Amino acid sequence: MTNKLFIPFCITLLLLNIVVEGRALLMQKETEDQCIVCHLEIGDNLAKIANDFKLSIHYKKGIRCTNCHGGDATSDDMDIAMSKEKGFIGIPKREVSYQLCIKCHADQNVMKNYGSNLPTDQFDKLRKSVHSKQMIGKNEMVADCITCHGIHDIVPIDNPVSRVYPTKIPALCGGCHSNPNYMKNYNPKLPVDQVEKYRTSVHGKLNRQGNTDVAECVSCHGNHEIRSVEDPKSSVYAINIPQVCSGCHSDVAKMKRYKIPTNQYSLFVNSVHGIQLLKNMDLSAPSCNDCHGNHGAVPPGIESISNVCGTCHALNEELFSQSPHRKAFDQRKIPECEICHGNHGIQTVSDDMLGVGKGATCIKCHNVNDNNKGYMTAKIMKSLIDSLKDDDLSAKKIVDEAIQKGMDVSDASYNLKNVRQVLIETRTVLHNVNLKKYKESISKGFEITSKAKEAGRDAIDEYYFRRKGLGIVTIIVTFLVILLYLKIRKLEKNK
Amino acid sequence: MNESKQFYNLKIFHWLDERYHISDLIGYMKKKSVPNFRATVWYYFGGIALLLFIVQVVTGILLLMYYKGSSDLAYESVRYIDSKVNFGWLIRSIHSWSANLFIFAVFVHMFSVYFFKVFRKPRELTWYTGIALLLFSLTFGFSGYLLPWNELSFFATKVGTDIIGQLPLVGKYLLKLLRGGNDVTGATLSRFFGLHVAILPGLFTVILTFHLLFIQRQGVSEPEKWQNTPESQKSYIPFFPNFVLREFLIWLIVINILAILAVFFPWELGNKANEFASAPTGIKPEWYFISMFQVLKFLPGEILFLPGEVLGILLFGVGILLWVFVPVWDKKTNEGSRNRLINYIGIFVVLFMIIFTFLGYYLD
Repeated sequence: MTNKLFIPFCITLLLLNIVVEGRALLMQKETEDQCIVCHLEIGDNLAKIANDFKLSIHYKKGIRCTNCHGGDATSDDMDIAMSKEKGFIGIPKREVSYQLCIKCHADQNVMKNYGSNLPTDQFDKLRKSVHSKQMIGKNEMVADCITCHGIHDIVPIDNPVSRVYPTKIPALCGGCHSNPNYMKNYNPKLPVDQVEKYRTSVHGKLNRQGNTDVAECVSCHGNHEIRSVEDPKSSVYAINIPQVCSGCHSDVAKMKRYKIPTNQYSLFVNSVHGIQLLKNMDLSAPSCNDCHGNHGAVPPGIESISNVCGTCHALNEELFSQSPHRKAFDQRKIPECEICHGNHGIQTVSDDMLGVGKGATCIKCHNVNDNNKGYMTAKIMKSLIDSLKDDDLSAKKIVDEAIQKGMDVSDASYNLKNVRQVLIETRTVLHNVNLKKYKESISKGFEITSKAKEAGRDAIDEYYFRRKGLGIVTIIVTFLVILLYLKIRKLEKNK
Repeated sequence: MNESKQFYNLKIFHWLDERYHISDLIGYMKKKSVPNFRATVWYYFGGIALLLFIVQVVTGILLLMYYKGSSDLAYESVRYIDSKVNFGWLIRSIHSWSANLFIFAVFVHMFSVYFFKVFRKPRELTWYTGIALLLFSLTFGFSGYLLPWNELSFFATKVGTDIIGQLPLVGKYLLKLLRGGNDVTGATLSRFFGLHVAILPGLFTVILTFHLLFIQRQGVSEPEKWQNTPESQKSYIPFFPNFVLREFLIWLIVINILAILAVFFPWELGNKANEFASAPTGIKPEWYFISMFQVLKFLPGEILFLPGEVLGILLFGVGILLWVFVPVWDKKTNEGSRNRLINYIGIFVVLFMIIFTFLGYYLD
């Protein structure tokens, strides 16, 4: 190339470059979201919203401001971009804001198009929850989508900045649930110290440390479909609680790092409490939270076990507290009720647990050599209760015999039913480990059986007395009949 | 010793005779005679019924000393009589058994009188008073059944009074009158108690007195076939002492039977009535009402534009009226000729009662 041609060539190239670059710049300006551009330029809160939105999952999935607000994002003229003609609606009304969410989140196809596999039934679930109640004085739900998820800064829940990230949930829920003034408007009887208690629990402490494995509010209560605890469909309805807890506590892999057993649920299901609660649907039977607490869930300490059991078994607990066992157990760090009855797998008590025989729990501590007094007391107690049961059986046999003979021994039969009550009382008094009191209690049973036996025997005697009496009467009547017959015969013969 | 006793007895007799002319009465009774023939045995049932009525009165008075006629206490008082009062069980059982045997004896007596055509002139009033006594006996049974206030008696009374309520025109009023309200309650028990221990015994005693007076005045009826039998072929036994001693012998046997029934089959009390409980299965009235009850059960819901039960009750009413007034419409027997229709009707009624009573028990 000659020098003459070099200069025009360079100028041409420069011009060409200017044209191409200018065109590219022009095109770039035309495709950029003018809402973001403009709001960033304005600064302050509007810039924050724009920045938040740019980081959100929605922006990343290609959703733009106009999807919710309407308007024209391509125009840099604010009057055109935010004109009614372009469909701009401004800030959506709060009471219908959920409609903007469900436009996509309740539609499987739309979600699929965005490459999401999120469920699409969240709103349906929300409608069934306590949060769908109407807010006082406003035509909106108590809690809708944006209450928990936010608006512009929504990110996936596994993102630590998400408002619904596990470690943030307690504070999020506590925003309303820890506010007594707010809560009393909707459910005055609901406590407001759940978060406070939660922070004292093992779950709460670990959650605060950033552990996302441990249970927080939604782990137990669910998220969108939160129902009242009194609603049988609620995940925290008494009967459903063992299943909820076992969701984590029966998970061997999950529990491995905490070094706690995972058989509590299987033990509980077959326990006397589990059968009563889960099979017989008896809501007075304890569920996990009744012993461990719910929001402040902790394993009961050795010295507090009797207090926990005593919530229901008050009399047993009171008697146990006054017994010499209480002090001895605490000194030796023996878990109070649990040492005899077990914990999660508590079975129906049997009198064989008492005494010194096979299956007796007394001999776990007392044996004939080391602690003779305790050993002998256990032995006497067992023999007394066995005697009463035998006595009851033999009294029933006598009374039944009288009934079979058609005698009325209803009083004795009725009174014998009280032996069962005496046995229950005695088994309760047993927790006091006081032989004198025990004998006083059980003697009432012996009194009943003795009276019933007497009444039964009297009735049987009366039965035979009646028959003997009838025999004598029949003999006399027969004798008189024969005499009369002979007299009549004689009379008629003479005639 | 024996002579002194005879003398003592004689002295008492004279003492009494002097004042009350007993010898006249014995003379009168000695003159009376009772026909002696193959079927004389049926003549004893009137006397058996009388004995059982006396037993009822005596045991009833004894029961009254402990029985309490209120819905709160009736059952408990009967239970107390059964279990705590000395020989209370015996008195109650004898009262219950003799009540049933009494009605049975009255029925047998009525049918024997019917088949012997004793209702014919001149004993029409004896027949009518006898029928009245039978109806009173049934009312005695019906009212007494409720008094223990147990489950069975309560619901049987409910069913029984329901049937009375079906009577056309007067049914509703009669039902309220009997029950003392719309339902069987404590008020019903009070009414039945009053009826059982005051009204009925009074009326029954008056009618019974007339019934016995008629018999004493007219003498024991002779069998129909004796109308044309020569006197020489008729056989009689003196009323006193022969017939009275025979009757007394039977009374002793009946008393012994009562004792056996009371000891071996004591009358059960069952459970206390509960007005709010549903009726237990197998509720049925006393055996003497079973045949009528069973027929009413068999009748269809509607016959000839009338409810089946109402028609059944009307038919029973007509039948009972015809039975009661047999001396009026049976002209043939009154004229001295034999009326076989009477026998056929009697056999039909007896078979009807036996078959439907059997079905009443068997079908349950």
